[in-house]
Amino acid sequence: MSRKNLDLEIPLYVVKKIEEAGAEYAETRLHTREEIGCILKNGQLEPAIVTYSHGLGVRALFNGTLVFSATNIVNRENAKKLIEETLKKGKTASNLTKNKVKFSRERRLKKKWSALEHQKLVDKSFEDLTKVLRELDNIVLEEKDYIPMRFLELEISVEKKLFTNSQGTYIEGYVPRLYIGGFLTGLKESKSVQKVIEFGGSGGWELITKLNVFEEIRKQVQVIKEILEKGQKTVAGVYDIITGPEVTGIMVHESIGHPFEADRILGREGAQAGESYLKPTDLGRQIGSEEANISDDPTIPGSYGFYLYDDEGVPARKRKLVVNGIVNELLHNRATAREFKTKSNGAARSNKFDREPIVRMANTYVEPGDYTFDELIKDVKRGVLVNSFMEWNIDDIRWNQRYVGHESYLIENGEIKYPLINPVIEVTTERLWSSLDARGKEIQFWAATCGKGDPMQGVPVWAGGPYLRFRNLEVKTR
Amino acid sequence: MKEILDEIVDNVFKKALELKVDDTSIIAVYGIENMARFSNNSITVIDTLNEVAVFLYMIKDGKKVVGTTYSVRKEELDKFVERLFSSMQFVEKSSDITSLPKNVFKYLGKNDYDEKIEKLGEGIVDYCESAINAALSEGAKRVSGTISANVEMCKIRTSGGIEEEDRISYISANIRAFSETNSSGHGLSCSTYLSKFYPEEAGKTAGMFSRESKKVGRWDEGEYDLIISPTVAADIFQMVGISASAFRIDTGTSFFKDCLGKKVAVESLTVEDYGTIEGGFGGRKFDDEGVPTQKNTIIEEGVLKTYLHNTTTAKKYGTTSTGNAGIIAPHPWNIVVNAGDMSVDEMIRECKRAVYVTNNWYTRYQNYMRGEYSTIPRDATFLIENGSIKYAINGTRISDSIPRQLSSIKAIGKERKWIKWWEVEIPVYTPTILVEKTRVTKAQF
Repeated sequence: MSRKNLDLEIPLYVVKKIEEAGAEYAETRLHTREEIGCILKNGQLEPAIVTYSHGLGVRALFNGTLVFSATNIVNRENAKKLIEETLKKGKTASNLTKNKVKFSRERRLKKKWSALEHQKLVDKSFEDLTKVLRELDNIVLEEKDYIPMRFLELEISVEKKLFTNSQGTYIEGYVPRLYIGGFLTGLKESKSVQKVIEFGGSGGWELITKLNVFEEIRKQVQVIKEILEKGQKTVAGVYDIITGPEVTGIMVHESIGHPFEADRILGREGAQAGESYLKPTDLGRQIGSEEANISDDPTIPGSYGFYLYDDEGVPARKRKLVVNGIVNELLHNRATAREFKTKSNGAARSNKFDREPIVRMANTYVEPGDYTFDELIKDVKRGVLVNSFMEWNIDDIRWNQRYVGHESYLIENGEIKYPLINPVIEVTTERLWSSLDARGKEIQFWAATCGKGDPMQGVPVWAGGPYLRFRNLEVKTR
Repeated sequence: MKEILDEIVDNVFKKALELKVDDTSIIAVYGIENMARFSNNSITVIDTLNEVAVFLYMIKDGKKVVGTTYSVRKEELDKFVERLFSSMQFVEKSSDITSLPKNVFKYLGKNDYDEKIEKLGEGIVDYCESAINAALSEGAKRVSGTISANVEMCKIRTSGGIEEEDRISYISANIRAFSETNSSGHGLSCSTYLSKFYPEEAGKTAGMFSRESKKVGRWDEGEYDLIISPTVAADIFQMVGISASAFRIDTGTSFFKDCLGKKVAVESLTVEDYGTIEGGFGGRKFDDEGVPTQKNTIIEEGVLKTYLHNTTTAKKYGTTSTGNAGIIAPHPWNIVVNAGDMSVDEMIRECKRAVYVTNNWYTRYQNYMRGEYSTIPRDATFLIENGSIKYAINGTRISDSIPRQLSSIKAIGKERKWIKWWEVEIPVYTPTILVEKTRVTKAQF
């Protein structure tokens, strides 16, 4: 892998020409990502993979019409063509742009930033990747009688972005990332259990240790074995629910993070990712109990969703989405911030040169509380501990959701009894967060790739939080 | 486009041979996407994407690497090939190496190409306007959507002596309309020719469903017969195609493991995969190894007939490639479901207690081997009682397994439609399907 410098000449030329043609705003993003990856399928090495993506994304506002163009043929001749097309389309579409797009005015910046990286990923080869995968595979193989099918992958990437705009902002960013994914199939007699596993973060090779990957895989293997050996049918009914950090994370990502994206609230994702249960006037609305304290923070060092400046050149910061159960802040880009008469809080992200920056989460989580795990379960008379999940979904306004447990246990009189098979939680957002009555002290994050937009773009995120206790929720069976 | 692809492929091919690889395959794809998105009856963004991607596969001394680059300058491409080659020293030897096929093929397939789609330019904005107006004329208050026009040209050259090219065009409209009560409807039009592209009709359908679903009534969780529109059926049948990949069989992510030659669906169902087919826009006449794509009958009259293979998986399974090689795993190109003999109205009349689902999203699996999944109906969803639509219902979720549903198909519609949109990535040509006894659940509130 290499780390070459990006050339500023073409971006500056494009911004200047578009501005001269009368655009209210113009920006460019020279965006490069280089990845190498390995896959082990049932111990068999698949072809090693190298991906190099490099190109220029250009966005401009003409008379309230937003135009995005991208190309990876980055030369002056093609840049001219790109500018002409951008101008022509911007002018033609402006008649049908009834709701004129406007951007919030943000500070002019000149910055260079990067994620902390101790052991450089650019120094790593396929040999290093394969070695780690083999070690992980050997851990799974220790229980090969229970897990006959397995798929493991390791990918390292470096991403470099150079942002310029007509305000004179210039930002250069660099993020190395590491991702380990897997899919385990447990089989015993007529029982089968499957689990997707994901670990990811920003930083260097030290992430392998920091993310505790070996220990976590070992744990996942034992969980599958335990479900196959001791899992019992779930009995439908009303239970107190304790969620582990992985389940806390998916719940908060889906039912709070997404509906707090201001572009959805304004209807901009209506035909794709959908809208939101929140209305533009819902700041201050009670959405959960006092225990519901939920944030999104791109600046967490080492996080998978890490960045310090967003893809519209705005500084990133922590966003306190829900405070004591009340809707406190939304996720904004420049356009939604202007519509809401506020400033952008740096939530615009793009995953590749050919994708426009749109409002996205970064690392979304429930803030920690003050309970130990033992304190959380000790007064649960009849409960279910849902530590991890497989199936989940939520409707497109983010109200009606479902999570099906993977590692789950029955709790009786404050004691964990035995594993349960496929307990189903199917609940509305308000009911869920209103049932929250206690939060654990320690938080943990899980990596995921969040999809949104058209064309679709997946961005790396963390989701997590502490163990949570919800009172009196229905549990169904599959 | 052609000149650029020729130059890139030749340069990369020469460079790979200079490095004395045992086998190589190069595919370069030049794609142009012209897209307009709108919401609340107003344009939100106009996108133009213009890019070339190069896919390179190299084998040397039993080691395999694959690479993708978006660099197009000769010196950058040379560097990329060199880097990929030098990284091979760190790659383990693979025991399942299969040489790329030699050119003994005839490429009979042909994709549709309409230059009018290539030259549409800012004309795409007019289609947005007509789709929006059509939905509004049906009673919608707000309309959102995407019109997307795409052209793609690709060229392959392999060390097996294969040198072929192909091109394709397609245009699609994905329209969602909302009434004043926020009931919603969905409409879709996908075509490889501009003359068969009907954005107005998509807008009208979306608008009509948003109007018809305003009257909402109560319903209970339980088992219902299910009438699924082509948009919903396409989501299930794309998974049927994906699950036929030998890669999915090996990784435990298919419900077709050990099912070859066995009955997996009702006799009235046949599902095929086509590399090229009139109206289809997911494939090409050659796969990533240069093997001609073909018609593969995955399910014939209810019986699983084949898995989808590349040369490596075919060798493992003791068969020949089906022309479905992707860069790592075999995959379907275009899925075609057979037509039946019933209209949607006849299906509705047939049902005593059923749910009619016009669109869905967020399909997720608890267990891929068992095909156990749930998905969320979105937009107009209707309760049917005693042969007629009673009213629209909200907050539904389908929870079932695909193998059970394939074996519980009661009727197949006579009109088919090409479907590809946000939720359905592989183009599927399918009719409406009636499935018996599916579990429909709701959330605790």
